[in-house]
Amino acid sequence: MARITLEHVTKTFGSTTALNDIDLDVHDKEFFVLFGPAGAGKTTMLKTIAGVEFPDRGLVRIDDRIVNLVDPSERNVSMVFENYALYPHMTVFDNIASPMRSPLHRRDEEHITREVARVADLMGIDALLNRLPSQLSNGQRQRTALGRCLVRKPTVFLMDEPLAHLDAKLRHLMRTELKAMQSQFDTTTIYVTHDYMEALSLGDRIAILNNGRFEQIGTGDEIYYTPVSEFVARLVGEPEINIVDAQVTSGSGGKPAIAIASGGERRLFPIPDDVAPTLDGERNVRMGIRGINLSYRFDPADGYMPGTVYNLEPIGNKSILTIKIDDTTYQAVAPNDLDVELDSPVFIRPDPGAMLFFRKSDGVFLARHDQRHFLGENN
Amino acid sequence: MAGLTFKNVFKQYGRTKAQQVFDADKTVALDADKSVDATVRRVAAQIDNQYAVNDFSLECPDGEFIGILGPSGCGKTTSLRMVAGLEEITRGEILIGGRMVNNLHPKDRDIGLAFEDYALYPPLNVFENIAFNLRAKGLPDEEIRRKVMEIAPLMKVEDLLDAKPAGLSGGQKQRVNIARALVRSPSVLLLDEPLSHLDGKMRQILRTEIKRIHKQINCTTILVTHDQLEAMSLSDRIAIMKDGRLQQFGTPLEVYDNPVNVFVAGFIGEPPMNLFKVGIIGNARERYFHFAERGIKVRVPDKYGKAVFPGDMVVLGVRPTDVLIEPDNPAATDAKVAVFENLGDEKRISIEVGPEDYLTLITDNEKRYKPGVGIKIIFRESKTHIFDKSTGERIQGE
Amino acid sequence: MRESAVSFFFRNLFLVFWALFALFPLFWMVLLSFKSDAEMFSTTFIFTPTLDNYINVLLHTNYFRCFLDNLIVSGGAVILSTLVGVPAAYALARFNFPGKEDLAFQILSFKFAPEMLVVLPLIIIYNRIGLYDTYLGLIWVYQLITMPLLVWVLRGYFEDIPVEVEQAAQLDGYKWHQIFWKILLPLIRPGLVAAALLSFIFAWNSFTFPLLLSGIKIIPVTVEALRYIGTDTIRYGQMAVAATVTALPEVVLALVIQKHLVRGLSFGAVKG
Repeated sequence: MARITLEHVTKTFGSTTALNDIDLDVHDKEFFVLFGPAGAGKTTMLKTIAGVEFPDRGLVRIDDRIVNLVDPSERNVSMVFENYALYPHMTVFDNIASPMRSPLHRRDEEHITREVARVADLMGIDALLNRLPSQLSNGQRQRTALGRCLVRKPTVFLMDEPLAHLDAKLRHLMRTELKAMQSQFDTTTIYVTHDYMEALSLGDRIAILNNGRFEQIGTGDEIYYTPVSEFVARLVGEPEINIVDAQVTSGSGGKPAIAIASGGERRLFPIPDDVAPTLDGERNVRMGIRGINLSYRFDPADGYMPGTVYNLEPIGNKSILTIKIDDTTYQAVAPNDLDVELDSPVFIRPDPGAMLFFRKSDGVFLARHDQRHFLGENN
Repeated sequence: MAGLTFKNVFKQYGRTKAQQVFDADKTVALDADKSVDATVRRVAAQIDNQYAVNDFSLECPDGEFIGILGPSGCGKTTSLRMVAGLEEITRGEILIGGRMVNNLHPKDRDIGLAFEDYALYPPLNVFENIAFNLRAKGLPDEEIRRKVMEIAPLMKVEDLLDAKPAGLSGGQKQRVNIARALVRSPSVLLLDEPLSHLDGKMRQILRTEIKRIHKQINCTTILVTHDQLEAMSLSDRIAIMKDGRLQQFGTPLEVYDNPVNVFVAGFIGEPPMNLFKVGIIGNARERYFHFAERGIKVRVPDKYGKAVFPGDMVVLGVRPTDVLIEPDNPAATDAKVAVFENLGDEKRISIEVGPEDYLTLITDNEKRYKPGVGIKIIFRESKTHIFDKSTGERIQGE
Repeated sequence: MRESAVSFFFRNLFLVFWALFALFPLFWMVLLSFKSDAEMFSTTFIFTPTLDNYINVLLHTNYFRCFLDNLIVSGGAVILSTLVGVPAAYALARFNFPGKEDLAFQILSFKFAPEMLVVLPLIIIYNRIGLYDTYLGLIWVYQLITMPLLVWVLRGYFEDIPVEVEQAAQLDGYKWHQIFWKILLPLIRPGLVAAALLSFIFAWNSFTFPLLLSGIKIIPVTVEALRYIGTDTIRYGQMAVAATVTALPEVVLALVIQKHLVRGLSFGAVKG
């Protein structure tokens, strides 16, 4: 059992507010991801829960017990630090063994040897046990830090960007392994990352943090399909979502339509019926469309906006096609064998069913088609 | 404007340096052990370590954008530095526009070089930084002004000309840096990891811009990078190096679709290609790849009918996008979902084929899978690769 | 770039000359200590060595008491500096409090003032409160010599240790005193050893303070050496013996710790 609650937690460093009146409730055994750009307050929140930073205001509870005044060593939490925080004068073995040699969690040496071997094998560092941290690559250091965290059974795991310094391949592999291990953890885990793939892959729930406040807390689907703001929409997905100015107007037969500027004129796209009522009363909106929902062709067709190929980047299993219309660029996803000259004409069409609508004034999410489907228990 | 040629170029450092390069390789090898078959890597790593660059030949036609890609210590930066004249060439020739440059002083080689760290002169403003080399050449003020004003809008630094480097962001510094290299209208532009200090978004923006500029000025460009994404997205052709040797030279699609060996296969692509050491079982007609630890068998494509036989061990390589879920295909193999990841744009499924060994596949259908659920998979036959288990070389089918 | 034989030769030649230049006073001192008074000025390198000076100084004066006095005040000063300086350096490295940099500079500035400047008021104060010519008084005033070095070296060491390392140890279940002994102390040890020994040497060599703040009951060897300057003659031979014996512990220490000294005073040894 370990439920983590924060109530009105505020933390400032000098004139910067790292956490701004945060309320948070992490359920028992949940894998909870804190996701956001650098400097959003993710690490501070983790350290506040660990007890190595103290909130200026507010309460931290573990299992309904207020722990503000409990010493970190007594909280029984286990943490991976982003800069590894390995003990430079101890070998990998001693680093991993360290929690089991502390007076609080002391185990006999036989148990320690066995557990360190198990964790080292899991992390793929079993050949490095006699090395000092200074003799390891960054990836190996990170896995040692992860090993030190996983070697005991705490009430909660706190992980601060545990995969950030690995190269892309190793990150993919370790993410898969973490995900496979997840069910065996059986322990509340709070995981900090700035990589949206890690967030979507690992998180039972994801909290998006910006400037010390939550933008959105929800499942991966909620975050991806119904982001509460332009800010959130831009954080998830590769290539980044296209967001452009648009006007709500009436199209053929008086049905509501969305107008997007293209080459000096306005192109109309139908607004899905279930979205129309929400947009009623809005005139200027922002329309977001993800690259995979943007279809393209190289000959003119009805309902397609004309533009030019600004760039084509093959990135392995797909290509990113950048299209320029007036001064706006759109990015679409294309197959990797697409071959096209730069600056040649191209025609694109956003899929109305996948359009996200945001309020123009503050970027707050308004609606999308079939919104209900993505919320709550529909997974 | 000129092409660039490497003719059997070797580079040998003193013993200590060679040892360092070797050590660097060893660390990399250790790190990569988990993703690619260890024995294959080790064998390759032990050959010819005394050369930082070993018999490197490359032909870059005029105006082409070439990426030199490889892990740290593979010799790619050394190659670039030899072109620039910052390293002596031990053996072989480097030609720029058909002229041998081995013995030319760096400044006479007509090279524009942009380093990974920005190396701007802090006391000078952006204009003077860009103009620095022109001033050194003693061009008249007027011409310097004209040239800088020509290049500044291209790199989108025209509004920054009066700023000092200290006040610029990383992306801006790198723009200035590239502008400085371009302003001399060099015959060859050399870029050494130009984007590696930038954060994700700025990297993407500058990537697009570099590609656009190359299209505009059409200058022969060599990009050195360890980031396969960068090399793939920017280059007309990619040279992949390892341990000082050229592994493969081809268009991004060629190296992606037809890797010549296990190293290239594992290095290119994100997520990486699935590479496993498997046995071949079956009979004369029907042959299967056999993942012995989990008892999974997948049909060997017919094109390898004359290449592999039951009892052989090979390295199987198949990209995550070439593993297909086909519930209705009678030839499909039963497997169990170990990990399901919903990444929004795509879904990834990992199947356990050995202890902590996963076969990953990517699908974009909307179906969700729970761990433990059975699925039926096949490999896309035309994109299924096999490699020799000891040399790592690709085994050709028919 | 391989070094040519010529430049190798000249570089080493220069180093040899430099070593001769630097070591010559020491050599000269040792030479003097073996000369009799008669030969003191007449010969340079050729003379009849004698142990008379040694016998006189070591057996017929209270030289050893002075040596012991010096050991007590210098050692005491370093121990006190360590006990106070380590926590002080830690606080300066880790905590933010008003006036932190001023305080740090204040400690350093003890080194700036010429000893003669501060010693006059100190004589008056010491006389009034009874610290004049006491061990405590000297140990206390030696803090001006030993403390700044120790605090500034160790502060750098503590700053080099990421705070997360301590936090990780806390979460591993260690209390602050265990963290200090198990994690921090091993990491600052090179700096601590180097700074402590260096400040010991400075204290050992100190002359002005003991000359003016003691001299009846407590006589460090540096002051004792003055006694060989009589009204009629200067006993160079005996002075040289006193100086040679005094320098011995320093030379031994320096040889023993030179590895630590080089490593310890170059920062960043902790990183990794």
